[in-house]
Amino acid sequence: MKPEDRVEKAIREEFTFAAGSKLRDRMLTRALDAQEECRKSRPAPAGPAIGRTTMKSPIAKLAVAAAILAAVVLSISLWNKSTPAAYALDQTIEALQNVRFLHIIGRDDTGRIKDERWIEIGMDGRQVRYRQQNPPWLIEQYPSAPAKVIEDGESTAVYRSDKQAVILYDRKDMQYQWVGELGKAFENLRQEGKILEENTEYQGQPAHKVWWPYMSAECYIDPQTKLPIAIGDTELSYEQPSAGTFEITIPDGYAVLDKRPGAPVTSVPQWLLDEESAQANKGQAFHDGSVAFAGGDYAEAARQFEMALGWDSWAPFWLGSAYYHLGKYDLAIYNYNKEFDIWAKSGSDSKLSYCSYARGLAYACSGNLEAAQADLQACLPDMIRTLRTPSGGQMFEYAENPMIRYGKGKLTDEVMVIKMINRLRLVSGQNFGYDPAASAEENELAIAAWEQWLADGGSINVTFDAPPVVESQE
Amino acid sequence: MLEDEVLKWQFKCGSSQALARIYDKYVDSLLTLAAGLLNDAHEAEDVVQDVFVAFARSANGFTLRGNLKAYLTTAVVNRVRDRIRRQQRRPAALNEATPARRKSQSPEEQLVFTEYAGRLHEAIKELPHEQREAIVLRLKGNMKFREIARLQGVSINTVQGRYRYGLQKLRSSLNGEVRK
Repeated sequence: MKPEDRVEKAIREEFTFAAGSKLRDRMLTRALDAQEECRKSRPAPAGPAIGRTTMKSPIAKLAVAAAILAAVVLSISLWNKSTPAAYALDQTIEALQNVRFLHIIGRDDTGRIKDERWIEIGMDGRQVRYRQQNPPWLIEQYPSAPAKVIEDGESTAVYRSDKQAVILYDRKDMQYQWVGELGKAFENLRQEGKILEENTEYQGQPAHKVWWPYMSAECYIDPQTKLPIAIGDTELSYEQPSAGTFEITIPDGYAVLDKRPGAPVTSVPQWLLDEESAQANKGQAFHDGSVAFAGGDYAEAARQFEMALGWDSWAPFWLGSAYYHLGKYDLAIYNYNKEFDIWAKSGSDSKLSYCSYARGLAYACSGNLEAAQADLQACLPDMIRTLRTPSGGQMFEYAENPMIRYGKGKLTDEVMVIKMINRLRLVSGQNFGYDPAASAEENELAIAAWEQWLADGGSINVTFDAPPVVESQE
Repeated sequence: MLEDEVLKWQFKCGSSQALARIYDKYVDSLLTLAAGLLNDAHEAEDVVQDVFVAFARSANGFTLRGNLKAYLTTAVVNRVRDRIRRQQRRPAALNEATPARRKSQSPEEQLVFTEYAGRLHEAIKELPHEQREAIVLRLKGNMKFREIARLQGVSINTVQGRYRYGLQKLRSSLNGEVRK
């Protein structure tokens, strides 16, 4: 690393001052005293309030209301004409604080609903009640998937149409979520979100476009309400759902399997016991496969991921990657194809850049250069976009390290950019001079050169011996 | 989780615990920022003290819609700039200010920093104010060049130039002292 960067790092990390304990206490005491004085000096209401007197008359009440309304309308129209307010992410965070209901609709490429959810959010920002509905066509593809899930705040009901059964769990034992902790997602938007474009459009309606790293997706914000109206291929609205949305009811002819603590002991059907046991085994195999893969034991990883198939949509991908590292390229491609199939079946965007990249390399290794070219070309735009929005490369990193799921091996933005540059060098044979030790201005030129290269048609030239950028070893 | 939003609301409602938590959370980073911008650690204490006292008094009409840390950072920067303007009108030059540490005081009564941070501070103090401001706001205030440019009333290129030249000077003045 050049000395300049060491200086920057030194200032960022080591140039820190802290208040000694007495100084800290003294300063805090003064601030608290000031707050107390301010509280005491808050003017008490004295004498008759004009507003209060005026409002006693119903006619005057209307007149005042009209005047206020006129003033508001006037100020809004003047505001609109004179100063188009700049958008800030904080406005969205603030608007989200007041959201109590979320209605989420995911659609596939043809516009079919593939996923619909309602969430009630508590004052603390946590999920209170939840409902998820999977469309019949999806259940046909995956018969053992729940047709519906409802959480009423105490219990979770999983509706299995294939077994004509409702399984009841204590909410603590079984909870469904949309994106994990909503509060974390909002905080991530505040901390790491990025406004990509103001005053653009989403499906014909005005919107601001924002990058939301937690969601790994572009998000569109309504300029009026400041609330997200779409995240990736998912639409959001905030209306209160109809009564009964979060109520657990038992459809006619359905059996009830109550697994809540304290429920009357009934015999659990064999199919449920088998399913639970199989799921537990697959889950363990998935975990063991992840550990083996991260440790470089690809034979063991392949063995475990074979057993984990069906437990998680990523299992075939990592199985493919394990075979890739074992040099079994045909098996790698076979399993990557299964990964594409899973996403296509569930109506998700079939453009899985990380999977195209992995399959492209497998094709290249197996000598099918035409297929390699097609796959690698398809993922170039996402790869290059990552150079400016590093969090866009998270899926590539996750694809290479399943332990990220378990909270290990998360990378900084800087390292994600370097790794993406290395992937680009590998698939293109190009080198535009990106260097972690160079100045921000020099690297800006390198990124611009990659963008220009893509704009000029950026052709694939797989170069396995391309010299990689070396991460700084600080 | 969204702690600052809750703190802002509690503070507005008059909670002294909220004020104490905000203070505890940000006082050190604000002191570092002020110490970096000023030549005198005691002045940095005064500035941060003033900011928190003014902040505490603002509770009644407090309507902050944005980021709390950014708000406090801006408050510190503005007060530092006011102070420097006042000092520039005074006969004593800024570089004649008192040493950064009052040797007579115990560590509990003053700013605490490592010897190395002290050396960095000495080097930063030698920079022209504009360069120092660009570097400190960028690296300790986490401000973007665009925001610093707006604050200094110059172009982004000028700020980037000040930042680069400032770093070069620091590199030569630290000359081998920077840890690898």
